[in-house]
Amino acid sequence: MGLVAEVDAELKDKGFVTARLDDLMNWARTGSMWPVTFGLACCAIEMMQAGASRYDLDRFGVVFRPSPRQSDVMIVAGTLTNKMAAPLRKVYDQMSDPKWVISMGSCANGGGYYHYSYSVVRGCDRIVPVDIYVPGCPPSAEALIYGILQLQNKIRRTSTIAR
Amino acid sequence: MSEIATESPAPPSRIDALAAKVEGACGARVTRVASIASELTYEVAPGDLVGVCTQLRDDPALAFDVLVDVSGIDYLTYGGEEWDTHTATSSGFSRGVTGRDESAEAPAARRFAVAYHLLSMVHNTRVRLRVHCDGVEPPLVDSVVEVWPGANWFEREAFDLFGILFRGHPDLRRILTDYGFIGHPFRKDFPLIGHVEVRYDPDKQRVVYEPVSIEPRIQVPRVIRDDHRYEPALNGRASGLPGQKNG
Repeated sequence: MGLVAEVDAELKDKGFVTARLDDLMNWARTGSMWPVTFGLACCAIEMMQAGASRYDLDRFGVVFRPSPRQSDVMIVAGTLTNKMAAPLRKVYDQMSDPKWVISMGSCANGGGYYHYSYSVVRGCDRIVPVDIYVPGCPPSAEALIYGILQLQNKIRRTSTIAR
Repeated sequence: MSEIATESPAPPSRIDALAAKVEGACGARVTRVASIASELTYEVAPGDLVGVCTQLRDDPALAFDVLVDVSGIDYLTYGGEEWDTHTATSSGFSRGVTGRDESAEAPAARRFAVAYHLLSMVHNTRVRLRVHCDGVEPPLVDSVVEVWPGANWFEREAFDLFGILFRGHPDLRRILTDYGFIGHPFRKDFPLIGHVEVRYDPDKQRVVYEPVSIEPRIQVPRVIRDDHRYEPALNGRASGLPGQKNG
């Protein structure tokens, strides 16, 4: 029985619905994870593929936002350079809580190909706290979607009210 | 087919015609550099650079109106020991910073050069200029921004990465590297891992710079050059295989 039918049946039976507030909040959070558009390199191309019509991240309620103020998730898609580190942190700080970070691709995970470079941050977790690491160089659009689904699972496991 | 070829001698190729025009216009100020694949490269003295460039742009027979690229070159260790891959592969390559043969270095005065790639939209011809910089440190060369305004950012890039100064450039700032970056990373004596790394400091609430914490890596490629098929002593049995003549 689907969720809508379940709610409908309970409404018809009792006239009201009960649910744990945590579940309700997590349902809302996982259903509308809006990522801030933060493409840094070639991974951003795969991120665009994931957002475009074939994979269509809109199906998961994932809608790219042009402003950190409206965003819940930051997908660090690509090589994070020293010069970009401070702006990345600034954008992260501008996002309103609760917020999550997906590190996409080898470069964001640990420097990747540019690990020994003079200008690249050896992993974006040196700058922002990361929730999900998506491996690959670049990860395919499916891999990114899998990472997003894993983040949904992670959010579902957290209890905000009942500790 | 062959009769036609014998009757008329081969016409001068496009590249020879262009070379004749360039050398006619610039005279002794340009020296042709040996090149491959019908490319035309000229060495220019630093003092003649702007004059030659203006001539190449304004002469209607040449009309090199597009500056495609300006790039710096660091000739430190050029042709040095590390290029000899037969002996160097045991110790690996590390960008010439360690294990280089000091005696093989290029003379300091000839260390830095700048290459200019020109295109004539009118004649569909291309030419390359190379100029070795004045002085030892800092390397100095005249700016060609007055000739081609597009040189502005190219020269800033060469300054940023190689530390080459362009005399007369209107705004010679760094263009690519981090704010406050020290050094010129494309120089062969700049360590690949650099000098600083960044991390977020939760106490200071900002991104901080610290001395680099990793060790430089020496890459040792697994190159097998002396396969038994190519050994002269052994190739009697494998006479039909390629590479036999090289031994």
